[in-house]
Amino acid sequence: MGIDKKHIGNKYGPTTYVVGAEKLREFAYAVAGGVPSMGFTGTGAPEGLLPQLHQGTEIVGMPSFCNVFAIAPFGQAVTDPKLGINLLMLVHGEQEYEFFEPIRPGDTITSTGEITDIFEKQAKDFVTVVTESKNQHGKLVVRGRWLAVIRQ
Amino acid sequence: MSKQLSVGDTFTHVRECDKYRPIYYAAASGDFNPIHIDPDAGKAAGLGGPILQGLCTLSWAVEGVVNHVKDATRIAKVKVRFSRPVMIDDTVTYVGKVTAIENGKAVFEISAKNQKGDDVLKGAVVEVRV
Repeated sequence: MGIDKKHIGNKYGPTTYVVGAEKLREFAYAVAGGVPSMGFTGTGAPEGLLPQLHQGTEIVGMPSFCNVFAIAPFGQAVTDPKLGINLLMLVHGEQEYEFFEPIRPGDTITSTGEITDIFEKQAKDFVTVVTESKNQHGKLVVRGRWLAVIRQ
Repeated sequence: MSKQLSVGDTFTHVRECDKYRPIYYAAASGDFNPIHIDPDAGKAAGLGGPILQGLCTLSWAVEGVVNHVKDATRIAKVKVRFSRPVMIDDTVTYVGKVTAIENGKAVFEISAKNQKGDDVLKGAVVEVRV
């Protein structure tokens, strides 16, 4: 179908996300093979979850917890009616994250995104979105590079 | 205790996509795209059924490295190409190996194969601060 390259440079967000300790636990537990809302131990650590995510009384997020908030501007981009993408035909092609500051409970994280490339190859459309997520101190937490592939 | 890394260090990490994993991951992450949680949508999209969220497949790779180095805050970068969907009942085996230590970072190259030996990720790399 071909997505118009004029949308390169489109910006999305800012979106904000407040990080909760229970959400960090749920995410780590779902990834580690558990059921998100069940099975936490007396110390708060899910079965199978790394003690390293519980440094004493302090909790840090799995680095890939950023999936939860960094996806927002990417989601806005691929659902932007101007691009006309059929979501059922969309698959996630590639993903890159650079991690800077750890994710901690109570953080307020603001994410923005920009379409940096649109191209067509082998009867598929490709859209690249770069996202940046910063915490309440203005420090960069994660930069993401998302590649959506849309089957035609 | 955070782990010292050397070139040649390896780890193996195995994760199974049980029947409800895409739903659990949806609940934890907020990614409720129907192709992940609705068998009819997965079939209508020509995928043969619901597929696991690629970002869960990525998270398993990161988890494998975090388990190995025992410090989540040392992860500097992850990069993957999703080469094949992970389907219900697939078991994914991740094998990571430190191929270089440069610029203050250890580079893990990671293979991720399903039970048939097909790559579900290609070019997967995780970098760790040393």
